Amino acid sequence: MQMLSYVGRRLLFVIPQLLGIVFISFFLIKLIPGDPAVLMLGPNATQAAVDRLRDDLGLTKPLVEQFAIYIGKVLQGDLGTSWQTTRPVLEDLAERFPATLELVTLGLGLALAIGIPLGVAASMQRRGPVRKVADYYGLLAGAIPDFWLALVLIFVFYSLLGIAPAPLGRLDITLIAPDAVTGSLLVDSLLAGDIEAFRSAASQLVLPVLTLGLVNAGPILKMTQSTMDRTLASDFMRYAEMSGLPRRVIRRQAIRASLPSVITLVSVLFSVTIGGAVLVEIVFGWGGAGQYAVQGVLNADINPVLGFVIFSALLSLAIYLVVDLLYFALDPRIRG
Amino acid sequence: MLQNLHAGEGATPLPPSPGTLLAVQDLAVSYDRYEKEPVKALNGVDIEVREGDILGLVGESGAGKSLLARTIMNSIPGGGRVSGGRIDFMGERIDAMSEEQRTRLLGNALSMVVSNPRGELNPVLTVGEQIGNMLRYHKGLSAAAAQDEALSLLKAVQIPAPERRLSAYPHELSGGMAQRVVIAIALACTPRLVISDDATSALDVTVQMQVLDLMTDMVRQKGASAILITRDIAITAHFCNQVAILYAGEVVELADTDLFFDRPTHPYSIMLFAAFSHDQALRRHWTRQADPAVPASACPFAPRCPRRQHRCVTERPALRRLGPGRKVRCHDPVEA
Repeated sequence: MQMLSYVGRRLLFVIPQLLGIVFISFFLIKLIPGDPAVLMLGPNATQAAVDRLRDDLGLTKPLVEQFAIYIGKVLQGDLGTSWQTTRPVLEDLAERFPATLELVTLGLGLALAIGIPLGVAASMQRRGPVRKVADYYGLLAGAIPDFWLALVLIFVFYSLLGIAPAPLGRLDITLIAPDAVTGSLLVDSLLAGDIEAFRSAASQLVLPVLTLGLVNAGPILKMTQSTMDRTLASDFMRYAEMSGLPRRVIRRQAIRASLPSVITLVSVLFSVTIGGAVLVEIVFGWGGAGQYAVQGVLNADINPVLGFVIFSALLSLAIYLVVDLLYFALDPRIRG
Repeated sequence: MLQNLHAGEGATPLPPSPGTLLAVQDLAVSYDRYEKEPVKALNGVDIEVREGDILGLVGESGAGKSLLARTIMNSIPGGGRVSGGRIDFMGERIDAMSEEQRTRLLGNALSMVVSNPRGELNPVLTVGEQIGNMLRYHKGLSAAAAQDEALSLLKAVQIPAPERRLSAYPHELSGGMAQRVVIAIALACTPRLVISDDATSALDVTVQMQVLDLMTDMVRQKGASAILITRDIAITAHFCNQVAILYAGEVVELADTDLFFDRPTHPYSIMLFAAFSHDQALRRHWTRQADPAVPASACPFAPRCPRRQHRCVTERPALRRLGPGRKVRCHDPVEA
């Protein structure tokens, strides 16, 4: 009951938060120089034609009025049209956002699978090879840019060894994509019973997921290890040791106490990577949402950018809500 | 024999005599420093606890009381290490045990009551789980049986509404209740020796007496022995049959309680008594800190000692027998 009212209150706050985010992004994007009318019509257009288009697009109206019109449309579920793709932004994003989401979710899943066990092992064993490996790995993962790692992986596994598929998108070009239900090709192809598409989608995912996973495992490993170190040195863990609890119980209790920090970090990484995976998306020709938004920024195509901002803001708010609920479940002190 | 033990710094301590539960002999704990001489926080401590003894360990802040307790519990804080001497418990050297052996002993036959229970209990586990853990991992009880046993322990430590406290978290307890929980944990298994590390210092004076009464009663019921660490010498008069006075990491006087309170002999012991008197001039000595610059060849108490002689600054006194039931570390003890 307490939980429900908490969630309700949080959801109420989502509306003003979103409004604020859209407001700020709208004016910031308008500050970027570049006239969409000029870019749309090309270098040979006459001034008269450009002026007419500006008028049609509503660019001659005051900024505040433009914003009001935009918000009004958004409230009706219309995110505008992208002049580059000439399609409604909502449709574009509905296609691309799941692609990014699938990539980022699997990538961070892999990062967790590497980072947490390694961090825990390194912390439980102060002196020893695992600690060394973890130290070097953390340093390396922090120093290597993801796009560079992506290129190296492509070079090794596609160019040299030839075991990875060409880095050209989410599916082999000779295959037809399954009907979009969830937007995740893995899930959709399974739903459609299309094993070949599933296999292709999975093999296309391997390298980009590996890239994101290996790079993001660094901070997760570091956070896990340092939080575990601190927890193990805390009064209550020392007391547990003095109480002669077995090592596995000590480890379990320490992991449990360290989880909130790791969850916080993962939630931040998730929000950041949704947009930040754009370089990896470009290298693998992924056609994800980040790529779409960057194209928008470069070509003064404002609607895709704002659409992306709204989508990722919603996602971030949802993630932070989930994180708060996890804290609720994990820490009796917050439950009060 | 005692003369033998302290004949020289390098003399190897002998195994303790039978009937001795815990024998700490010539124990030294050092903290290494970067490019400097290590600091000796404990410097040749000798104490002995026989079956049924309740030993009071008294000293001012920084004398090494807690450090001694934590060294016995194999949990030396802050990177210190045992640099000399030995600790025998129930006929075995616990300072040279395997981790597995020690895990079986700690919390079971040798347990500790900590001074800051709300900081030392695990914040995310219920009281029932924490008491139950001891019974499950030391006695092999099932989870359900452990909960039943935990409930009867909570009743034994006289916590109000024990059924409800079983599912309470540490932050929901008062200081006195948390202290009782810690006592329940220490006495959950089959303790032979319970070390109370200033366990009641955070409590009101009235509650302090209740808790100490309860703890010493339970220790006696279980046929166990105890070490009560305290800064309050009055507590030892009430509850202990042996008193050890610790000063600057050394035992300066070790005596039967009756003898000690009848007639303390070490100048420091006498000043301890004076500290509880209303005489201002006497109390001023008590509040002065130990001088860390005392050379290793001098009596560490010499700078504060009103009976200091030339010999005191050139020769470190040994702990020697002074009549039956008393040992003192002083060249010139106060004899009536």
